[in-house]
Amino acid sequence: MSTSKLRKAVSLWFILFYALVGVPLWYKLTAIYRAPLPVKYIEAVHENLHSDVHVTVPVYVRSDTYTFPDVHDAVQVQVNELLRSKQGPVTWSLQVLPFDNTTVDPELDHVVTLVLDDDIGFTILYDSKETIVFFNDETVASNDVPFFVAQTLVEHTFELEWRKFSSSTGANDQNSMAIEYSPNVHLSLSLLTGDGRPVAWDIEPVLQQYFTPLREFLAPLVNFTVDTDIVQVNDLKLASLRGATSPSWHDLSHAIDLSELSTTNYYKERSVLHLAIVFPSAAAGELDFINATTIHPWQSFLVPQWGVLMLNRKPLDDNTRITESYLKPVIYSFSRELLQLLGLTSGNEDLSTPYVTMESFQRMTILKNLEKSIDTLWSLVKLTQQFPQMAVPREVLDDVTAALDLRLKIVHLLNDPCKGGRSTWNEALHLSNELLALCEKAFFHKEMVQQNFFPQEHKIAVYLPLLGPLTVIMLTGFINAFRKKGLDLDKKER
Amino acid sequence: MRSMSLILGLLILIYTNFVAANGEHTNNWAVLVCTSRFWFNYRHMANVLSMYRTVKRLGIPDSQIILMLSDDVACNSRNLFPGSVFNNADRALDLYGENVEVDYKGYEVTVENFIRLLTDRWSEDQPKSKRLLTDENSNIFIYLTGHGGADFLKFQDAEEISSHDIADAFAQMYEKKRYNEIFFMIDTCQANTMYSKFYSPNVLAVGSSRLDESSYSHHSDVEIGVAVIDRFTYYTLEFMESIEKNSTLTLQDLFDYYSFEKVHSHVGVRTDLYGKDPSQVLVTDFFGSVQNVVPDERDRDLDLKAAFLNNSSENDEDYDHILNLAIRKSKLVRQDP
Repeated sequence: MSTSKLRKAVSLWFILFYALVGVPLWYKLTAIYRAPLPVKYIEAVHENLHSDVHVTVPVYVRSDTYTFPDVHDAVQVQVNELLRSKQGPVTWSLQVLPFDNTTVDPELDHVVTLVLDDDIGFTILYDSKETIVFFNDETVASNDVPFFVAQTLVEHTFELEWRKFSSSTGANDQNSMAIEYSPNVHLSLSLLTGDGRPVAWDIEPVLQQYFTPLREFLAPLVNFTVDTDIVQVNDLKLASLRGATSPSWHDLSHAIDLSELSTTNYYKERSVLHLAIVFPSAAAGELDFINATTIHPWQSFLVPQWGVLMLNRKPLDDNTRITESYLKPVIYSFSRELLQLLGLTSGNEDLSTPYVTMESFQRMTILKNLEKSIDTLWSLVKLTQQFPQMAVPREVLDDVTAALDLRLKIVHLLNDPCKGGRSTWNEALHLSNELLALCEKAFFHKEMVQQNFFPQEHKIAVYLPLLGPLTVIMLTGFINAFRKKGLDLDKKER
Repeated sequence: MRSMSLILGLLILIYTNFVAANGEHTNNWAVLVCTSRFWFNYRHMANVLSMYRTVKRLGIPDSQIILMLSDDVACNSRNLFPGSVFNNADRALDLYGENVEVDYKGYEVTVENFIRLLTDRWSEDQPKSKRLLTDENSNIFIYLTGHGGADFLKFQDAEEISSHDIADAFAQMYEKKRYNEIFFMIDTCQANTMYSKFYSPNVLAVGSSRLDESSYSHHSDVEIGVAVIDRFTYYTLEFMESIEKNSTLTLQDLFDYYSFEKVHSHVGVRTDLYGKDPSQVLVTDFFGSVQNVVPDERDRDLDLKAAFLNNSSENDEDYDHILNLAIRKSKLVRQDP
C-alpha cells in the first residue's frame, strides 16, 4: 500500500472512530440519567385526591332497656342521610352494627348505649369510646330514636371528622399553636435560674411517676424522647420586666429571649417541644406581673410551636431542692398544654373525650399524610419536568414506586369495612408515616442537585480545550490526505 | 381647632408608625454567605460577620443561622490583630470576639453546598446544624456578599453561581413549602442582576448596585491595610443599629435610608413577587426572631385539684384530667398485661 493510501485509510479510520465510537460514547458518558417516573399515574392521583379512599368506622349499638332488633339498620339509614347532606372531599362513613358482647370491647370499639331516661340527651364517656344516648318513651313512640342516635354520633362523637371532611372546603386546620404532626417528638425540659447558685430538682422520679404513663398513653400517636437540663445564670432576660405589673404580650415577646434554648439542632428528632421553668435572679427580684399564689407560685405561658414557659414570681433560695410538691402540678399543667401543642386540642379547650379525639386525630392524620405524600410526589414530577438538566436517579424511581404501592396498601386498609378497630388505625398511621418519609426521601435525593443553568460560554470553555485540538487535527489531517490526491493528479496532468 | 389638628396629627402618626408584627411566620432563619476568600477580601468577611452579629442580637438563635464564610482573615498572618475582625477603623467592635459559629468554612463554601443548603438535598449523614430546616412558617433572610458580575456571583475565585441557579433553588423551596417569605439581600458589583431572574412568590430582594455598576467599599483601616467594609452593608448596619426587638421600623424605612450619596451606586429593590407593601413589614420580621408569648388562660385550679385530689375519697369525675386517665390506664395495663 502506498503512503498516501495508508494516510487516507488512517485518517478515514480516525474520523469513523471519532464519529461512530467517540461521539456516542461522549454522549453516553455526559448524558444525565433521568429515571422514567410514573408521571401520568401521579398526576391522576393528585387530581383525584382521596377519590379511592372511603374511610369506614364501625359503631356498635346496644340497648339495655328495650330490645330494638333493627335499630342499627334504622340508625345506619339516618347516618347515611346526614353524611350525604354535607358531602365533602373525603368519603367517610359509619358502619352501624348490632352490639355483640363476645366480640366488641367498649374500650377499643365505638359503642352507643341507649338508656331510657326522663329526658333526651347524650354523653360521651371520658375514659372509653362509649357514647350514651338517653331517650324517653315519647321519642320511641314518635320513632325519633334512630335520628337522635345518628345526630349524636355524626355531630358530636365524630365531630372532628364531620367538621373536617364534610364540607366543600374542609375545616380550616390552621393551628398556629401546634407543631406539624411528627411521629417522633423530643421534649426538652429545662430548669433555668438567673443566679449561679446550686439548685437541684427531683425531675426524674416525677417524670417516671406522672409523665411516663402519658407517654405510653399517647404512644399510638407520638413517640416521645425526653431530656432534662438545669441552666444557670439565664433567666431569659426576665430582669428587663422587673417592675412591670401588667406587660402586654407584645412586651413579653420582645423581652423574653429564647435563643439559647432553641436547640433544635442538637436532637435527632425533627420536632422539639420545650418546657422551661424559669426563676428570676435575686438581683432582678420578684416579678410583679406573675399571677402567683402560695400554692401556685408560677404562671404558665405558651409559645407557639416552641413549648411552654413557666415563669416564677420569686427567685430561688440558696441550695434549693425542687421537690415533687412543686413539680407535680407543673407536669399536670404541662400535659394539658402539650396536647394543645400537638394539635389535639385548640384554644383553651380541654380534651373532654380523649379516646374518641385521639382516634379521630389518628384518622385525620392518616389522610393528611396521604395528601402530603401525593403533593410531594407531584412536586417531584413538576420539578423534573421544569428542570430537564436535573438528574433523576434510579433510587428515586424505586422510592416513588414503593411509595405508590404503600399508598395502595393504606387505602385498602382504610377501605376495608371488616376492619376499623384501633389496631387498624395504628397500623395505617404507622404506614402513612412511612409513606411520607419515603416520598420525602425521593424528593430530597442528594443527587438531584446541580447547577441547572450553565451559560453557553461556560460549556465552550470546558469543552473547547479538550475537544478542539483533537477535532482540528483529525479534520485537517483528513482533508489534507484527500486534497493531496487532487494535487498529485494536477501535477501528473501538467 | 389647634387641639383638633393635634389629635388628627397624632392619629396619622399612630397609623403610620404602628405596624403590627407579621403573624404568618413562627420562626426566623438567616443564611449569611461570604463568597470570597483571601486577605484582600477582608471587607467581605467583615460584611457577613456584621450581619451575623446583628441577627443574633435581634434574637435569631445560632441553630437557625447558617454562616458560610471562608474564615481566613481572623487568623491570617497579615492580620495585625490576630483573632479579631473589625468593620470599622475605630476598631470598637470585634466581630470575631464572641462565640461565632461558622457552619461552612474554607473550601466548604461552594456553589454546590449553597444550592444543597437551599434545596436541602444532602446525604443522610449531613448534621442538622448545617441544614436549612425551614418550613412553611419560616421567614428567611439571605445575605450574600462577594465579587459579582452581570447575573453571576463568584465563589472563592473558583466557580460562579448564576442568577438562574438561585431563582431555580427558590422555586424548589417554594414547591416544597419550605418558606413563608424570603428577604434576599446582596452586596456585590452589579448585584441587582442577581435577583432579576427570580420567579417564585413571596420573595423580596434588595441589591447594592445595578447592571454595569460597581459596589464600593466604605473605608480602609491603615493598620489592617485593606478596606474593612462595603458601603451598602455599612449603611445597612448603621440603620440596623437603631433597631431593637420591639422596633416598629419597616423594610421601607430601610430602603429609604439608602441613597446614591451614601452608597455611591443605585440600590435596587424588587417587590413585584412579594405581594406586600414593604412599609407594612417590620424589619424584625426578617432580621430578628420575635416569638409570641401567650398567657395560658386555662383554669389552673383544675390542674391542682387533679394533681392532689385524684387519690382522695372525693369523686374523681370532677377532676378528669388526661394525666389521671393515663395513670389509671397504666395501672390497669400493669395489673392485667
